[in-house]
Amino acid sequence: MKKGMIFFAIAIIVQVLILLGVPAKKVYTRATGKDVILKVAPVDPYNVLSGYYVTLGYDISQPQTFANAPKFEADETIYAIVEQQPDGVWKPVGIEREVPKNLPANRTCLRGRWNDWRIIYGIEEFYIPEGKRQQIADDLTKNRNEARVDVKVDAQGNAALVRLRIQDRIYE
Amino acid sequence: MTTKLSTDFRTTLKKEIPAWIQEGIVSEESAQFLNTRYELDTLKQESSRLLAAVLFTLGGLLLGGGIITFVAANWEEIPTVAKVIMLLVTLLTFHITGFWLWQQKGWSRLGHALVFAGCLVFGANIGLMAQIFHVSGEWYGLFGAWALGSVIMAYAARSWITGVLALFTATIWFGGFTFDHHGEWRTVFPLLVAAVFLPLAWYIHSRVLYVLTFLSITLSLAFLTAERYSSGRYVLLAIAVSGLLAWAVGEFHRTSGIKPDFGNPTAGLGLLTLALGAYVAAFHEMWRDYSFDSAVKPFSLTLLLPTVIAGVVAITLLVRSLREQNERTFLQFSVIAASVILSICAILGANHHGDMVLLTIAANIAALLLAGAAIASGLLDERRIAFWFGTLLTVLLILSRFLEYETSLLLKSAAFIACGAAVMAAGIAYEKYLRQKELNV
Repeated sequence: MKKGMIFFAIAIIVQVLILLGVPAKKVYTRATGKDVILKVAPVDPYNVLSGYYVTLGYDISQPQTFANAPKFEADETIYAIVEQQPDGVWKPVGIEREVPKNLPANRTCLRGRWNDWRIIYGIEEFYIPEGKRQQIADDLTKNRNEARVDVKVDAQGNAALVRLRIQDRIYE
Repeated sequence: MTTKLSTDFRTTLKKEIPAWIQEGIVSEESAQFLNTRYELDTLKQESSRLLAAVLFTLGGLLLGGGIITFVAANWEEIPTVAKVIMLLVTLLTFHITGFWLWQQKGWSRLGHALVFAGCLVFGANIGLMAQIFHVSGEWYGLFGAWALGSVIMAYAARSWITGVLALFTATIWFGGFTFDHHGEWRTVFPLLVAAVFLPLAWYIHSRVLYVLTFLSITLSLAFLTAERYSSGRYVLLAIAVSGLLAWAVGEFHRTSGIKPDFGNPTAGLGLLTLALGAYVAAFHEMWRDYSFDSAVKPFSLTLLLPTVIAGVVAITLLVRSLREQNERTFLQFSVIAASVILSICAILGANHHGDMVLLTIAANIAALLLAGAAIASGLLDERRIAFWFGTLLTVLLILSRFLEYETSLLLKSAAFIACGAAVMAAGIAYEKYLRQKELNV
């Protein structure tokens, strides 16, 4: 009986740990990361909504942005270097195989996975509340050049999506 | 020994016993003995608890669903910390209430129902947690995490239905993962499933979970070989191996007396798998598709271990039957021979038209052997379903060959009539046989 209770308690603890483990990395990045604003690249208007999230792309998502980059293998880890511009938005300036060291304060790097058609940073899916799905989708389609995201980037280059901003409208 | 038969039987027995005592058919002591043996006192409690369990699970699911939907609907208004706390509290409420009812109040079914509902809530919570923090990832990751949490709970709560949930989610995870990744280590999955779920099914004595675990092994082996070789005949090889494995394990249970009630459903699944493979391979045209890549490939390591286990168990059973000269020899020989024939066909493949004819004939022989084995099992184990399965498979094979090769309508109609008459005659003979056996007992 007592043994059963201990075993049951362990099972519950494991489930709770799994649940807390799902966002653990993002929470760490949000807590320790540097604020970076990225411009959302034009989104295919027919494919904005995929269920409960919108799919976002950025300049750093497109391999052709880094035209002079060395050849990467599929699924290879890369680090995209971005630099803060006078308007506050961070723009891509380079790409590396290792975490770049001694970057100046106005530069940081984002860890991504190289695919031949796009680079994935784990900040592409923005989940939206049920009631605002269509509104956000319409807003994104109409004002595609005005959309920005606030992300946090930690020392290892991991990025976490914080909020989506379209002009003065904020979606979290 | 406690023999638990169907609730219907026990209910009838309970109703009959007072009359038997009155008529002097059984004594008070014998009635008491029957009462204890068939646990008749718990009958009413059980049925009312079953209904309560179903209703409470439903109520619990609606309650949990309501809370989760509330979190999802008021996404922006609820602060993140509050959302996380609400999700955790919902999960803990289900599990702790379930455990309390099961252990403290002795309401086992109701308690288990709530723990199962808690594991469903756990899955929904994983998805919501990912959404709250914008965690992007592959969809199957959710199923992997869900399976992990559920299987531990299935062990802790000794709950077969939670075990089935864990097996189901694990298999879905595997399907998604294999589609995306091509590393060698994913081939460990069938072994991992066997190592995790077979002991669980054994420990909680669940036939359903035991059989479904073999089904998951069969599906994952077929999927792995299909993906690795992209050739249908290697899938046939996986089917032949995993079918023999399930059948041999089931036959072991049937003949050894160790968990004998695991025997029929497990052996049945194996026979069904083999019959399906043989039936498809018995079509001539299939070998054209099966054989486009006819080079003999090295035997996959993934299939090696199940082949060795299936082979050792099956051959040991057959050798024992031969030594004892017992009546199961034909049945065991037929199944083993059929899976060996299918495996050889799958490995060789066809290089030219002549090979295709030979392979088709071999597959037809294998299918007929399996039909014979099913009929033998129907006779030896007195299982109607096996007998009818064997009979219908034979008929299906004959009619399929007629439809495949014979164009004359007249001959086709003769075949249909002959098969129909043969099925009826076989059915009558079988029922007579069963009645005779009953009389002899």
